Amino acid sequence: MSNSRRMILAHFWLAFAGFGAALLLGAWQMFIRSPLSSWIGDPELYYRSVTAHGTTMAYVLPTLVAMGFGYFVAETALQRPLIGLRWAWLGFALAAVGTVTAVVPIALGRASVLYTFYPPMIGSAFYYIGVVLVVVGSWIWVALMSVNLYSWKRDNPGRPVPFAMFATVAGSYLWGWTAVGAALELLFQIIPVALGWRSTIDAGLARVFFSWTLHAIVYFWLMPTYIAYYTILPRAIGGRLYSDWMGRLAFILFLVVAMPIGAHHLFEDPQVGSGFKFVHSTFTALVSLPTLLTVFTICASVEIAARLRGGKGLLGWLGALPWDNPVMLGTAFSFIMLGFGGAGGLINMSYQLDATVHNTQWITGHFHLIFGGAIVIMYFVIAYDVWPHLTGRALASFGLMRLQLWTWFIGMIVVTFPWHYVGLLGMPRRMAYYDYNDPMLAGQAAPVIMSVIGGAILLVSGALFLIVLARGQRAPRIEPGTYRFSVAAHPPQRLPAALNGFGLWLALMVALTIVNYGFPIVHLMATPGTEVPAVLIGAG
Amino acid sequence: MTDSLSPGHPPAPDDGADRVEQVEHRWAIYATALLVLLVVMAIFAGLHQATLPQSRVETVDPRTLHLAGEFIDSNLGSAVEPDGSITVRAVGRQYSFTPECILVPADTPITFRMTSGDVVHGFLITGTAINLMLVPGYVASLPARFQTLGERYMPCHEFCGVGHEGMWGRIKVIDKAAFTQMAATTKRLSCVK
Amino acid sequence: MSRHVDRWVTSSVAITAAIFVAAAIIGFALLPWGQPGHRFTGLWDAICSAAGLVRASPASEPVVQPGYQMTSVVVTPQMLSGASAESIGRGATLALRCTMCHGARGMSLANTPNLAGQDPIAIYKQLADFQTGARKNAIMAPVAVGLSDSDMRDLAAYYAYLPRVAAEASGPAGAPPQIVANGAPVRSVAPCGACHGTLDSKAGAGWLSGQPVVYLRAQLDAFASGARHNDIGEQMRNVARGLTHEEIGVAAEYYAKLQ
Repeated sequence: MSNSRRMILAHFWLAFAGFGAALLLGAWQMFIRSPLSSWIGDPELYYRSVTAHGTTMAYVLPTLVAMGFGYFVAETALQRPLIGLRWAWLGFALAAVGTVTAVVPIALGRASVLYTFYPPMIGSAFYYIGVVLVVVGSWIWVALMSVNLYSWKRDNPGRPVPFAMFATVAGSYLWGWTAVGAALELLFQIIPVALGWRSTIDAGLARVFFSWTLHAIVYFWLMPTYIAYYTILPRAIGGRLYSDWMGRLAFILFLVVAMPIGAHHLFEDPQVGSGFKFVHSTFTALVSLPTLLTVFTICASVEIAARLRGGKGLLGWLGALPWDNPVMLGTAFSFIMLGFGGAGGLINMSYQLDATVHNTQWITGHFHLIFGGAIVIMYFVIAYDVWPHLTGRALASFGLMRLQLWTWFIGMIVVTFPWHYVGLLGMPRRMAYYDYNDPMLAGQAAPVIMSVIGGAILLVSGALFLIVLARGQRAPRIEPGTYRFSVAAHPPQRLPAALNGFGLWLALMVALTIVNYGFPIVHLMATPGTEVPAVLIGAG
Repeated sequence: MTDSLSPGHPPAPDDGADRVEQVEHRWAIYATALLVLLVVMAIFAGLHQATLPQSRVETVDPRTLHLAGEFIDSNLGSAVEPDGSITVRAVGRQYSFTPECILVPADTPITFRMTSGDVVHGFLITGTAINLMLVPGYVASLPARFQTLGERYMPCHEFCGVGHEGMWGRIKVIDKAAFTQMAATTKRLSCVK
Repeated sequence: MSRHVDRWVTSSVAITAAIFVAAAIIGFALLPWGQPGHRFTGLWDAICSAAGLVRASPASEPVVQPGYQMTSVVVTPQMLSGASAESIGRGATLALRCTMCHGARGMSLANTPNLAGQDPIAIYKQLADFQTGARKNAIMAPVAVGLSDSDMRDLAAYYAYLPRVAAEASGPAGAPPQIVANGAPVRSVAPCGACHGTLDSKAGAGWLSGQPVVYLRAQLDAFASGARHNDIGEQMRNVARGLTHEEIGVAAEYYAKLQ
């Protein structure tokens, strides 16, 4: 495993280095647009920072974490060396080169288009090419997950696929398919304009392609988190996974329904029909189901552990849980933030309520809470759990890890709760400064300042995280033993093919994509006169 | 019970697994019922409060908005339709809305018809659910009705370039009688000074 | 075993299809057709509209025409890129008659605008607007009337090609005043540089640095009063109306000094 270990560590270090830099930018952004700072003299610097922050946190951090963790699972769950290690290194190299290729034009102010790139604003071609390279690197990972799984299945006919690998491959297929939308937008619309081959672009069609990726990408982001809920948490606290098959079903539901629902990001757009918007919102309601199932199953699994430790009573068993264990603490924080963030998501998914909050700071607060909070805190937990197995060295004290997790949780609540509130007051997104002296906007000043304080707390937490990991590279050597995943309370002896493979689900996913997205895309492409002049930014 | 759950022992006979399946099924039904309820509420609100996404897709050329057609400068603003309703036409461009101050009467059905002259802009009337994306090449339209008098901001809420932070329009809701009086002499109304 | 597999396939496909069909019926038919106050001509019209098929604009009152000549120029960012050397040469010849006011090298000694190194789209558009009367000026109108469209493009290419030099009046401008650097957000005034080159360039907006202060002030006043109305979509009128008299003076003086 030693060569794989270096490769996996490389993925995590690239992810977390990017995370650290982007976190710094995020805290600065929070500050510079708050009442604590005078208006920035050059607003382009703010938008440059937002582009760097968003691109790194959305495209680099979660992709590299998913890839690294996926390779780790492939080796440890399947208990065999990774097939295709050289290809994995190639995928990493593409992601690393892509990151640099994207970040340089951003830093030079040539690509301040934000990570959502909405054309007809167009930046430097290298920015988009960089993003494409990261995606291509991740597609190598998707292929390797599949190759490793099917090789194992050939050698173990009829046996249930280990849960962690099943979930990982589901996540990889979801990513492979969902990235296609943004790839189409980038390769066939944006990059030709950025390279000067074309001068017009259909902005509405580009938004439809992007929406294909935009929602399901957040499910790709949450895959490692949910895999940790199911396969790390029960083991770490000495319990069992309540239901193996319900867990598989949850990941299957994500695979099928996470992707063809992106039009709920286009509720207020004029280029998609209301019928499709409603169909997408119905399926969005359906994608809440696997989260609800997960919450139940994991709570039940935790209760098993608590009662095994002597916990009693209707809720008293909570006290018996190993709260000094960072995995327990981190997951509990994650669940709290998932509850609030998920409720916010249910609000966003219904057209009527979304109309009150679309593109206000509520939206930004929401996804920071759910992604930066519930999801990323589990990235920390995963890192802490696998680090000794990757480095062969002990990690720093549990106390420091707990402090890091506490500060991330508190910081994220302090950042995002006032953020939701100012969104309800109508504060628009993505502005470099606001006139807090205006009487109609003065009420937004205090909550924004609270968010700045939360951002400072998050900075401390992020620094602690990196310190713990860095120390772990130089700590004394230990023998970490075999990595173990959680065991089900009733481990399946045999599974139906539907719960052990993906053919049926992939077919449904593609079929739903065709019926949900086919007509809007084809129709827009066939409609003449929707191309508008590209606006090259950063040329001045 | 403890024996069958601890590692190293063979799993319990299937009645335990059946019980798990039962419990999970029941939860799945509750969860599904909750989601169905949310969707039904959305349908209800859509029908009875008439809050639905815009009902038609229309295209328009942003290059020639100012040359001819419904979005030329002199045709923007609030227009009284024969049936007494109001059509408000506006265009968003880097970095202002035209008309920069929109004037509407209270207690009257209003239709906003808007588009963008260059890049994607957002349109939000603070304190309301009037929220649109202005995508160049397409016409955004939305019905509305204002109950309370007063002035509100209309910021652009989508990043539209380096001057995005300066793109704040205003909308004024005035008494219906006062509006009708003004409309007698001017065909397209706004509160631009 | 195969019966088991069939059960998964049939039930998952059936459930997915049922959800889709139910959502489609509600979304494409029930909701649009059942909405009070809809203007559909029939159920099929409602379904097609809900599917997003492009519809013509609804019938409305006749378009209100302005009481003045509007600009007839269509501005796109790419419209004048790639000027040939011949075009620049022809423009140089045409420009000989402009030197009296606009200077031998496009840098004026009077209070007329400096044209050297200016955005070609800005020059082309203003010439075209002088020609049609969208922009009124007693001196420029007869000059522009004699120009053909290719003449105007050639002139624009020539002046854009000239190097920008520091104006006579320029000196250290210092830090930009707040109205220039940040605009006035809630009065819908973006930073000037967002369009006028120092932060980013909007097609046709042109560079302001080093222009005569008298000229800059006069144009802003003209936009504010509506006397000048050739800006597409009232963009500059929106900005100028949001500025105070003092701010106009401060901004003009800053840009006049800026190199």
